[in-house]
Amino acid sequence: MSATPVLSVAGLVKRFRGVTALDGVYLDVGKGEVVALIGPSGCGKSTLLRCLTWLEQPDDGFITIEGKAFGRERTGAVVTPQRRRQVDLMRPRIGLVFQQLNLWPHLTAIENVIRPQLVVLRRSRAEATERARALMANLGLSDRSERYPHSLSGGQRQRVAIARALAMDPALMLFDEPTSALDPELVGEVLALLRQLAATGMTMVVVTHEIAFAANVADRIAFMDQGRIIEDGPAAKVMTRPSDPRVARFLDLITPGSPGHR
Amino acid sequence: MVFDPSILIPYLPLLAAGTWLTVKISVMAFFLGYAVGIVLALVALIPHWVPRLVVSVYVAILRGIPFIIVVFLVYYGLPFAGVRLPAYVTGTVALGLFASAYYAEIVRAAIVALSPGQFESARAVGMSPLQAMRHVIAPQILRALVPPSTNMTLTMIKESSVLSSITVADLTYQSLVIQGNTFAPFESFAAVTLIYWAMTAIVAWAFARSERRLGRIEAENVGRSALVASFLSFDRRPAS
Repeated sequence: MSATPVLSVAGLVKRFRGVTALDGVYLDVGKGEVVALIGPSGCGKSTLLRCLTWLEQPDDGFITIEGKAFGRERTGAVVTPQRRRQVDLMRPRIGLVFQQLNLWPHLTAIENVIRPQLVVLRRSRAEATERARALMANLGLSDRSERYPHSLSGGQRQRVAIARALAMDPALMLFDEPTSALDPELVGEVLALLRQLAATGMTMVVVTHEIAFAANVADRIAFMDQGRIIEDGPAAKVMTRPSDPRVARFLDLITPGSPGHR
Repeated sequence: MVFDPSILIPYLPLLAAGTWLTVKISVMAFFLGYAVGIVLALVALIPHWVPRLVVSVYVAILRGIPFIIVVFLVYYGLPFAGVRLPAYVTGTVALGLFASAYYAEIVRAAIVALSPGQFESARAVGMSPLQAMRHVIAPQILRALVPPSTNMTLTMIKESSVLSSITVADLTYQSLVIQGNTFAPFESFAAVTLIYWAMTAIVAWAFARSERRLGRIEAENVGRSALVASFLSFDRRPAS
């Protein structure tokens, strides 16, 4: 783990019309770390990911990507919001895979991966195509590249969405419940893919309900409840000896078929 | 009785003039209707009840009355307001406004059908709002517009025949003149049938071609909602 964390979140607060969705979130993710973000629904996990990409502007707090301020800056005691252009320049460093994927249906699979490289990174078409082909090959999509998203299976769409994010060469990948929209038989496939990605040294934050993934792939588990991360530690420790009783209760609820396994 | 199309030969210039006027009226009404329709659709998307109500009342009125009545109301109503315009101007405006109610709903449905996630995913990779518009939003809206617009435009071309009843010398009007002169109604109307059919066929072909150039839309976004479906089907259109 390098000295500067890839992602550093400090005191993040987000309110929606008086409802506090994030209530002071602190999180550091080092290079190559895989953090599973778990917690009951409505606890603020998705809001946190949306704030980390500045799709939602947090009301308070700071985000630092690779040591650089993202969204708003602090110089001494003065806080200034960054210009839209500055935010856009940082965004490719953060790859977000939406829960609903949000592939672009009017473009072929490979064009979904090529287009942002052309528009945002200003790569040449040849270079972007080469990069896209390499990614699609890695993800087992070579024979699907000319298809449109609607003619792909759920698992294939998921992989296109991952390829689209990876093509921007992000420092950090964010996954919002990557298995929730999939048929049960595809869940294993996507989890294997995430494991493979983790093995390449990619820094990842994965919002998930798959406790098996959290236990087996993640280095750390961060547990969120009511807008705060109330437990954050090595996966094995959080799974077996959580210090907060809320975590223990939640784990009991979602661990299938083994009420007394701890 | 013998079917004798040659009886129409002296009247070919008249048919040509009528065709030309129908084409002109249809083209102008198309642009007028679409321009007004886009404005109405954008107004209807303002998140406030007043603009939304205004647009839905406008749409409800124009959808709820037969086009021929719209034409009569405008044609005989405008002089009360002290406005005297040539019949073909009044007719074109009436046709354009009639179509605008439908185009408005087509445009609105195409915009609403787009999920906000499309814009967000473009922004999240680092596209500016303008780039997101150009590469992700606009192409999807444009192609979603084509199929329902085809139907409405064909309907509008055919509805333009109604303008013959306010003395607009369009194709239908000329066919009535010719059958009056020749006492050969079947030949006259058969000729006009062919011309209308050729016009609508050309327009349908052009739209289909533009749809292919924009790429085919998949079934997920368009044609699923009852609203869109109601504009795709002919029989729910108010009869005239």
